[in-house]
Amino acid sequence: MILLLILLMPFITGLLLLLVRNAATVKLVALISAILNLLISLTLVYTVSATGYSVTWINSLGINFALGYDGISLVMILLTNLLFPFIVLAGFKRDQRQVPVLYALILFTQSALIGVFLAQNAFLFYVFWELTLIPLYFILLLWGGEHRRKITFKFFIYTLTGSLFLLFGIIFLYHLTPGLHTTDFSAFSQLNIPASTQVWLFWVLFIAFAIKMPVFPFHTWLPSTYTMAPTQGVMILAGVMTKMGIYGALRFLFPIIPLGVLFWQNTVIVLSLIGVIYASVIAFRQTNLKKLIAFSSMAHISLMVAAMFVLNYYSLQGLLFQVLSHGVIIVALFYMVTLIEEKSGTLELHQMGGIKLQAPNLAILFLIVVLGSIALPLTAGFVGEFLILAGLFKQSIWFAVFGGMTMILGAIYMLYVYQQVMLGEKRAEFKNMVDMRRMDYLFLIPLVLIILGLGIYPQPIFNMVEASVNTMRNLLLPFAGTLPTL
Amino acid sequence: MSTIILTTILGILILYLGFIKNKAILAPVAIAGLLITLFFAVNGWGSGYVYFHKMVIFDNFSIAFNISMIIITIIIFIFGIDYYKMMEMHVAEQYALMLFALTGAFLMTSFSNLIMLFLGIEILSIPLYILAGGKKFSFKSNEASFKYFMLGSFATAFFLFGIALVYGASATFYLPEIKIYIAQFNGHLPPMLLLGLLFILIGVAFKVAVAPFHFWSPDVYEGAPTLVTAFMATVVKTAGFASFYRLLGMGLLPLPMPLEKALWVMTGLSLLIGNIVAMKQGSFKRLLAYSSIAHSGFIMLAMLSQYDSSASVILYYTFVYSLAMVPLFIIFILVKRASNGHDHLSAFQGLFKKKPWIAVFMTILLMSLAGIPPTSGFMAKYQVFILSISAGYLAISVFAILMAVVGIYYYFNVVREVFTERDHLKPLIISKLNAALIIVCGVAVVLMGIFVWNIPI
Repeated sequence: MILLLILLMPFITGLLLLLVRNAATVKLVALISAILNLLISLTLVYTVSATGYSVTWINSLGINFALGYDGISLVMILLTNLLFPFIVLAGFKRDQRQVPVLYALILFTQSALIGVFLAQNAFLFYVFWELTLIPLYFILLLWGGEHRRKITFKFFIYTLTGSLFLLFGIIFLYHLTPGLHTTDFSAFSQLNIPASTQVWLFWVLFIAFAIKMPVFPFHTWLPSTYTMAPTQGVMILAGVMTKMGIYGALRFLFPIIPLGVLFWQNTVIVLSLIGVIYASVIAFRQTNLKKLIAFSSMAHISLMVAAMFVLNYYSLQGLLFQVLSHGVIIVALFYMVTLIEEKSGTLELHQMGGIKLQAPNLAILFLIVVLGSIALPLTAGFVGEFLILAGLFKQSIWFAVFGGMTMILGAIYMLYVYQQVMLGEKRAEFKNMVDMRRMDYLFLIPLVLIILGLGIYPQPIFNMVEASVNTMRNLLLPFAGTLPTL
Repeated sequence: MSTIILTTILGILILYLGFIKNKAILAPVAIAGLLITLFFAVNGWGSGYVYFHKMVIFDNFSIAFNISMIIITIIIFIFGIDYYKMMEMHVAEQYALMLFALTGAFLMTSFSNLIMLFLGIEILSIPLYILAGGKKFSFKSNEASFKYFMLGSFATAFFLFGIALVYGASATFYLPEIKIYIAQFNGHLPPMLLLGLLFILIGVAFKVAVAPFHFWSPDVYEGAPTLVTAFMATVVKTAGFASFYRLLGMGLLPLPMPLEKALWVMTGLSLLIGNIVAMKQGSFKRLLAYSSIAHSGFIMLAMLSQYDSSASVILYYTFVYSLAMVPLFIIFILVKRASNGHDHLSAFQGLFKKKPWIAVFMTILLMSLAGIPPTSGFMAKYQVFILSISAGYLAISVFAILMAVVGIYYYFNVVREVFTERDHLKPLIISKLNAALIIVCGVAVVLMGIFVWNIPI
C-alpha cells in the first residue's frame, strides 16, 4: 500500500496543482508533497521485509499492476525522492511562467520515475518509462532556452527510437515465456534463451538504456538538450533520468540475458571508457559553463556504465553508491550554474572571473561541490569512484588506467572552471553582484552536507545494497568462464 | 437485420424531414434513431441470425463492428450539430447519405456471399461519392468527388470482374463453398481462380486504402468536407477491415502462397508509404490521410500474422483509432475557421494559449494515434506487436516499429505547432457541446488504454 502511496502522491498533487492559481501556493504545496514523499520512502529503508503491491490489470495479456522493490530500486527511489524536493526548491523566489503547469509536470515526472523503479513486470516498466518522457518533453518545449523546439524534438525522437526497440525486446521475451504468457521480471529471468539469440537480443534491449544514460556513441542528444533545458528540467534529466537508464540495464540485462552480457561486456566497457575520455576532453574545451557541466556529467555516467559491465563486487557497490552521489553533486552543480548565470548574466567562461571577491560564500560552497565532482577523498564522489576504479582494476589494469583518467581529467576541467569563474581580478560588470540569498543556502547547505556526510560515512548505503549486489553477482557466476560462441 | 432496416428508414425519414424548414430537428432525430439502432444491435448479440438463405449472417463479429460504427457515427452527428449550423442547404441530404452509407457498412460486416459484399461496398461508396463533393463551390471538393467516383468505380469493376472469374471457376458466390473449392487445389490454384481472388482482394484493398491502392485517399480526404472526411477515415475503414477479415476467414484461408505474398507486400508498402510521406505533409488532412494508410498497414499486420486471434484486436484498434480521429478533425475545423480557412498545420498555433484544455486533449489524442502509453492507441499497437512477434514475423515487426517512430515524428510535429504561440486572425470559438465531446473522447481514449477490453468474436 505504501508503494502505491509514494507512486500516486506526486501525480495526484500535480493534478490538484493545475487548479490552483497562486504561484507561491503551488510551489509550496509541491515542495511539501515532495518532502512527504521523501519521508515516506525513508521508512522503506528501515522496514524489515520488502512489501509489494499487486493487482490484476489486463488478464488476457498477462499484465498485473505489480509494484515492488529490492536494494537496487530502493537506492533509485531514495535518489528520486531525495532530489525532487531540491528540484522543486530550485524554482522558489524565481519568476517563472505558468507555474501551476510547470510544477504539475515536474510532479508527474516524479510519479512516472517512481513507477519505473517500482515496476515488477516489463510492461509496466515500459509504460512508466514512456510516461517519464511526456511531461519532460513539455517542460523542455515550453520553458527551455534557445532552439528548444528543434532540440527537444531531436531528444524526443532519439529516446523514443530506443524505447521502441525495448518494446520489441519485451514482446519477444513475452512470447518466449511458457504457458500463459507474462511480462513479469521473475518469469523473464527463468527463461533459457539460446546463446545465439542472446547476442542480438542484448542490443535490442540495451539500446534504449544506451541512449538514455547515454553511452558513447549514442550521446549526441545530450549537450544541446542539457544546455537548452530550464534549470529544473536539466536537474531531472541529469540527476534522475540517467540513473533510470542504469536501473533499466541492471533489471533487464543481467538476470535475463547473462550470456549476451558476457559476450558484449568488453565492447561496452571500451565504449564507455571512450565516452569518459571523449566527454572529459570536450568538457575542457567548452566555453559555455552549462555545456561543460553537461559533458562532465556524461563522463561520470560513462564511468558508471563501465563499472556496471565489469561485474564485480566493488564496482557494483561503487556504481550504486555513485548513483546517489552523482545525483546529488550534479543537482548542486546545475543549481550553481543557474546562480552564476543569474548573478553574472552570462554563461560564457571568458566573461566571468573574480566572483569570489563579490560572493565569497558562493565561492566556498562552489568549491566544495567542485571537489565532490573531482572525487576528492572525504567527499561522496571519492567513495563511489574509488570503488569503481578498484573494480575496474580487478578486471584489467588498462580499464583502471583509462577509468582513472576521469578523475584526472575531471580535476583538470573542474579546477579550470573554478579558476575561470571564481578567481581572478575584480570585474567592473559584477560590482553590483550580491552574495547568496537565504533560499540558496537552504538549497545548497543540505546538499553539501550530504556530499560530505556520505563521503565520511558511506556504510549505510552499502548495507542497503549489499543483498542485491550479491544476487547480481551470483547471477553471472555460472557463466563466468563460458563465452557464447555463435 | 433490424439495424439495416432501421438505418434505411431513418435515412429516408431525414430526407423527408428536410422539407421542413427547421434544420434544428434533423440532428436530434438522426441521433435518436441511431440510438434505437444501437439498442437493437446490442439486442441481437449472441443470436446469430441469418437472412436471405444465409447470404447475410449477423454473428457476434458483425454485431460488434456494427456497434462500433454506430457509436462513431453518433459522435460524428453530435459534432455535426455545430458544423451544419453554418451550412445553408442540403443538410438533410448530408445526414441521409451518411446513414445510407452506414447501411452499406452494416452489409459489409455481415456478408457471407460475394454478391452481398459487392452490394455492401456499393451502398457504402455511392453516398460517399456524393458526400465528398459536398462543398459544391470548392474546386478541391469537386476534384475529390470526381476522383473518388472514377477510381472507386474502377476498383468496383475489378472487384466484379474478380467475382465473375471466381464464379466461373467455382460455380458459386457463397464463401464457405468457395473455401472448400480452393482447399482442394492444395495451394496450386488454376490461373483463373487465382486472378479472380486477387482482383477481389484488390477491390477491398482499395476501399481501405492500403498501398499501392491508396493514391485516391489523400486527395479525397483533403478535398471532402472535413466532417465527411472524418466519416470516411473512421467508419469506412472499420467496415472495410471487417469485410476484409470476413473475406479471408470465411472464404480464402488458408491463403494460397501468391495471395499471401501479395498481402504482405501491401502491408509493408502501407507502413512505409503511409509514414514516410506523412512526414512531409503540411496540410493536416493530408497528414491524417497518409497516417491512416499507415494504420491500415498495422491492422493488416495483425490480420496476417495470427488471423484467428486478431478479430478482437482489429475491433479494438479500429474503434480507438476512430475515437481519436474524429475529435481531431473537429478541432481542425474550428481552428481553420479562426485562421480564415488556412489549411496548413500552422493553423494550430496558439491553440494552447487560447484553449489550454482543448490543446491538452488534442495532445492526448495525438499521443494515442502515435502509440504512446498509457493511451489506448498504445495498447492497440502493443496487441498488434504481440500477435506479429509471437507468430515469428520478426523482421516486419522491427520494420513496423521503425515506422511507428516515424509516426511519432509527424504526430508530434502537430503537437509542437499546438504549443507554439501565435495570435489568431479571428476569434477561436468552440461551442460547449463540441468541447465537452472532445473531452469525453479524450478521457475515453485514456480509459480504454488503462481498462483494455477484449471482446471474444
